[in-house]
Amino acid sequence: MSFRSVFIAIVIAFALIIGALLVQRSRPRGEVDQPNAEFVKATGKCAECHSRQQYSIVHEFEMSKHATEGVTCLDCHQPQKGQEKDKIEHNGFQITAHITPANCRVCHEQIYQEFVRSRHAAPSWAAVFGAEGLTAEQAEFAENLHPGYVKRPANALAKLEGPSAIGSGCASCHSVGKPHEDGTIGNCTACHTRHTSSVAIARMPRTCGQCHMGPDHSQIEIYEESRHGILFAAQGRLLNLSAAPKSLTTRDMFVPTCATCHMSGLNGFKVTHNPGERLSYFLADPITKKRPQYTEAQQNMKQICNQCHTKPFIDRVYTQAEQVVTSTNEKVQKSLDLVAGLRKDGVLGTQPYQQPIDFVAFDLWHYDGRTSKHGAFMGGADFVQWHGNYELLKKQVELNSMAEELRAKHSHGK
Amino acid sequence: MENETRNQWAGAHDLWLEVFLIFNFACLTGDILLAHSENSFRNRAEYIPLWFSGAAAVLLVIGLASRLRSQSLARWKWIGYGVGWISIGVGIAGVGFHLESGFFYEHTLKSLTYAAPFAAPLAYVGLGCLLLMNRLVPFPTREWARWVVLFTLGGFAGNFGLSLSDHAVNGFFRWTEWIPVFSCALAVGFLLMLFAGEESPTFSKLCALVLVLQIVVGTTGFALHALADLHGPSKNFEQNVIHGAPPFAPMLLPNLAILGLLGLLALDRVAKQAHART
Repeated sequence: MSFRSVFIAIVIAFALIIGALLVQRSRPRGEVDQPNAEFVKATGKCAECHSRQQYSIVHEFEMSKHATEGVTCLDCHQPQKGQEKDKIEHNGFQITAHITPANCRVCHEQIYQEFVRSRHAAPSWAAVFGAEGLTAEQAEFAENLHPGYVKRPANALAKLEGPSAIGSGCASCHSVGKPHEDGTIGNCTACHTRHTSSVAIARMPRTCGQCHMGPDHSQIEIYEESRHGILFAAQGRLLNLSAAPKSLTTRDMFVPTCATCHMSGLNGFKVTHNPGERLSYFLADPITKKRPQYTEAQQNMKQICNQCHTKPFIDRVYTQAEQVVTSTNEKVQKSLDLVAGLRKDGVLGTQPYQQPIDFVAFDLWHYDGRTSKHGAFMGGADFVQWHGNYELLKKQVELNSMAEELRAKHSHGK
Repeated sequence: MENETRNQWAGAHDLWLEVFLIFNFACLTGDILLAHSENSFRNRAEYIPLWFSGAAAVLLVIGLASRLRSQSLARWKWIGYGVGWISIGVGIAGVGFHLESGFFYEHTLKSLTYAAPFAAPLAYVGLGCLLLMNRLVPFPTREWARWVVLFTLGGFAGNFGLSLSDHAVNGFFRWTEWIPVFSCALAVGFLLMLFAGEESPTFSKLCALVLVLQIVVGTTGFALHALADLHGPSKNFEQNVIHGAPPFAPMLLPNLAILGLLGLLALDRVAKQAHART
């Protein structure tokens, strides 16, 4: 035997080993720097199957910030405390297919804390379902923050429309504040979508417009009519919608979308997942009142406005909008008084939504009153006037006439 | 009679090779059952190697029995040719199917890592070729022994890739996962030199030592895989076996070591015969 043969054999072995080590070393850190072997496996094994079954979800995930940061499928899909019932055995992994904020908050706790204090959380759910589904603790917590908006009865109109309308209609939007068995509230994917988990999508006006649309809360239509919306239509493609939230500047978003004004931390200002931090009025209510943190919230919003507009301009917009709020309140109050008077005098029954006049009165504040107020704050002139005040006037005349007829009928019937 | 049987098996490495092949096809039946259960036999074609392995083992037993009883080689040969060629076909088709699970869509190292193990079906090609070789190459000859060494070398080269890609799925999270890669590389190096013509007794002994090392590594691997499955993420042991560390995969090393040792013994026998003639 020559020593040379042994030497060559060992050199060959070493060459193979070094090749293997180099291949392993060339793998992206996100793939191998994981807390345990199961997570490493999840970086590729899940996609290997699902790209054949649901290609789009894998593709969407691969384009996401989560993927570039080395987040694996298992990071989001691993069952959290309280999700024991949803835990399923899935090809060697223990996962939950039902993702709630309990999964998101593992990494985004502060964001969850902001969200859960917002009206997007429990108040949004309670607007349809009342306190049903909320634990006593959740209801108490949210009611303290939003007195009167959580411990309330289920929506009377929705009840009359029936469960199918609630399930496929109301719940689609109001589930943004859905309570879960794991104790969390909300649905992060409503705005960020599921596997894309996108900040850019959440910043798109259309994302907010999924729910903030139509005659009862026509924010997207108002935005599209406003100068902001026109600029977005023209220059939206030039914006850096994916910019990191904490370092977002007007260089990234020189045209605002809904999120820019209501949530983003523009030019160093605090980013928030509680839009209420910048809202000074309860515009959705029949009679709009100032929010408890009116001054602070208005200041917060004005600071954001000030990144693009001068102070006199901002003050003028606010002054004019507040005048619209006051006048709309007066008009709505008049209609409410009229219907209340009819009810008090026994002209109308005790149950709501039984007579055509109930619906005219409801539309007056729910459609036209809200539209007029939102239009005033969001630069939607047509919505203040034709879709707002004109309709308010028209419906008040209709109400007066209907009330007269009803009273006449009522006295005739006596 | 007993002596006659004993004589029939003594030094008959070709018969032992046949037993080795039957054992391998039988083991592959169970191995495929586990491996394709991971995919829940989603593709109907995944049943082909399962049924084929079982049938091949039975047919080869029949062929071997007929050779031993009647001393007639014809049936043994034709069964072997048939099973051998089908085995090669199953193996080649298997590589295609395995790569189709991801690699054909995205030609990246990652997709190769997480696709079904592309080298695994090559086991059928190897077994099929061995069946054909055992019938086409006369025994006992140096050529026969060298073919066995070559197939062992191929097996270790394949297992080098397999243990590399299998453990890459875990990102070599534990350092112990590198052991089979290192030991297969060592086997490839030594067997390559043996095949290249370094057949001196001392080098052959070194090769035997390297092969014994594979047996140690393989059985240790079996224990480690079984332990990993006992502590797997699922409460169900069966689920951990199917989706976790394949317990029988490390036994491929002792399996190949036995094949290599058969080749070494045959080489030794031929060398001794040649020495006796001179």
